[in-house]
Amino acid sequence: MIFDSYEAYKQASFKPKVCILGSGPAGTTIARKLGAAGIPVAVLEAGSREFSDESQDFYRGTTVGDYYFDLDITRLRFMGGSSNHWAGWCRVLDSQDFEPKAWAPDTGWPISRADIEPYLREVHDILELPDFRPDVPISDDIRWVQLIKSPAVRFGEKFADELDRSKNIAVVLNTYATELAGDGRRVTGARLWSNGQDAGAFTADYFIACTGGLENSRLLLWSNQRSNGGVVPNAAALGHYWMEHPTFQGGNAILANYNEFEVDASNEAFFSPTLAAMERLRILNFGVRLIESPYPNVKRLIADLACTAPDMAEWMSSQLDQRLRCAAQLYVAWEQAPLASNQIELSKTDVDHAGVPRIELHWKKSPLERRTLLEGLRLFGTTMAQKNLGRVRIDDWVSNGGDYPTNEETAGHHHMGGSRMGTDVLKSVVDANCKVHGMDNLYVGGSSVFCTSGQCNPTTTITALACRLGDHLSKVITV
Amino acid sequence: MSYFIKKMSRRKIVQALIALPALSLFRNQSAVPNPNGIDPDEIVEVNGWILKRSDLA
Ligand SMILES: Cc1cc2nc3c(=O)[nH]c(=O)nc-3n(C[C@H](O)[C@H](O)[C@H](O)COP(=O)(O)OP(=O)(O)OC[C@H]3O[C@@H](n4cnc5c(N)ncnc54)[C@H](O)[C@@H]3O)c2cc1C
Repeated sequence: MIFDSYEAYKQASFKPKVCILGSGPAGTTIARKLGAAGIPVAVLEAGSREFSDESQDFYRGTTVGDYYFDLDITRLRFMGGSSNHWAGWCRVLDSQDFEPKAWAPDTGWPISRADIEPYLREVHDILELPDFRPDVPISDDIRWVQLIKSPAVRFGEKFADELDRSKNIAVVLNTYATELAGDGRRVTGARLWSNGQDAGAFTADYFIACTGGLENSRLLLWSNQRSNGGVVPNAAALGHYWMEHPTFQGGNAILANYNEFEVDASNEAFFSPTLAAMERLRILNFGVRLIESPYPNVKRLIADLACTAPDMAEWMSSQLDQRLRCAAQLYVAWEQAPLASNQIELSKTDVDHAGVPRIELHWKKSPLERRTLLEGLRLFGTTMAQKNLGRVRIDDWVSNGGDYPTNEETAGHHHMGGSRMGTDVLKSVVDANCKVHGMDNLYVGGSSVFCTSGQCNPTTTITALACRLGDHLSKVITV
Repeated sequence: MSYFIKKMSRRKIVQALIALPALSLFRNQSAVPNPNGIDPDEIVEVNGWILKRSDLA
């Protein structure tokens, strides 16, 4: 069932066992799993079926530190969440992303990749993905990895009919959960805002926050403040360890044979380090993306190479005559070090229309990441040269430690951490089952539970974790 | 920097290439070891380029 307002929902006398906040990839996936298990679930969605400026306005916030996107631009607040404009790049975090790294503090998950693998078949169906091919090692240091561009499933559109027909799922649109109330052991209810006003309390046996990788922290921080620690009793890490995938063009490459690495119609190929290389250089994970260069850039590049290696430039010129595709821009997206200082706080001055403090995001890239970018490009360039696959030029700003360019991609719109998973209550917010430490009935879905970010886009892993949580709760909850 | 490109047309470069002994670059064979003990496969970083020493010849 889908209700366009909380008023309409109330007429239906639906009795949910579980209340999910948010209908993005995480919330929708968990709801479908619970609904299929016969568990009545209400999905409260702050937005409506369509984009609206009024709804987006609730997402405004500020950023302190490095340049970042406006917080009302980097996500969408309506049915289906940010899947309404995600690009559809898919890959699951690598096994090595789950392991602690001695050279990077606060890395490591309490689960391994094997814990989510049983759910990948379902994830492939949900995201309409073909099977991934295994990584191809092209040297001891570099793997040719695969990111699949899915049809970018819009969860709101794809599952609207199924959700509408379901007798166990009630999606309630235009219903904003402004805060949860709790007594330090259980969430006792959610406060709602609907139709421009307070709409009272909502009760259920279980609550799952799936409001996105920025908003989960905001909701929990505000709820905890209002209930004097009754919602997240162990709140030391709440809002902290927030991560993105910084993304910049870091260089160019001339390739011996571009077709060697062609993956699909998008014409992009991706490369990542082996664990051995990360260990040796004490760097984090990264993804080098090859994007075919336009012709004028190729000429400039060869002219530049002619100053350093004239024979090579000659050879390249001949290549250019024979085939037009022989150069690529190198974009690098990398894993961010999980730092407590990268955090979501509640604004002390700015509130939304419902009176909830807006987000103040503190975000800075660290020296370890800077080293990851430079050493990563060196590793990639070295492999390309050693294997005679091509030659790489690292951009001056990367080699010389210059400022990050301001006219670049900046990051991936991937909002991770803030309510991370772990066993240490001082450094994590949820346990291995995504249950908030110390609470009996409060769970978190989405990438806010990520302990580390790896190098790949998060939604495939979010969906796998959501399937896992849905499965877990189906066993825990008795109807 | 663009002197090289300006000076030679692409046709000329190709012609020159045909006349030249085949370059070792981009072929899966190592260049001949240098009698001075310098490894032609050694990786060097020059002006941002990551090259083999033999590329600088
Ligand atoms: C431009 C762009 C491109 C992207 N490209 C990719 C990509 O190629 N690959 C990839 O893996 N990821 C990509 N992403 C990220 C991807 O969109 C997110 O990872 C994914 O949508 C997160 O899912 P989620 O369910 O956790 O949160 P969201 O999608 O953010 O959904 C949260 C939902 O909760 C609702 N909500 C929020 N607060 C409340 C509240 N208090 N009460 C009730 N409801 C609430 C919102 O309206 C929303 O519907 C991209 C994102 C953007 C912005």
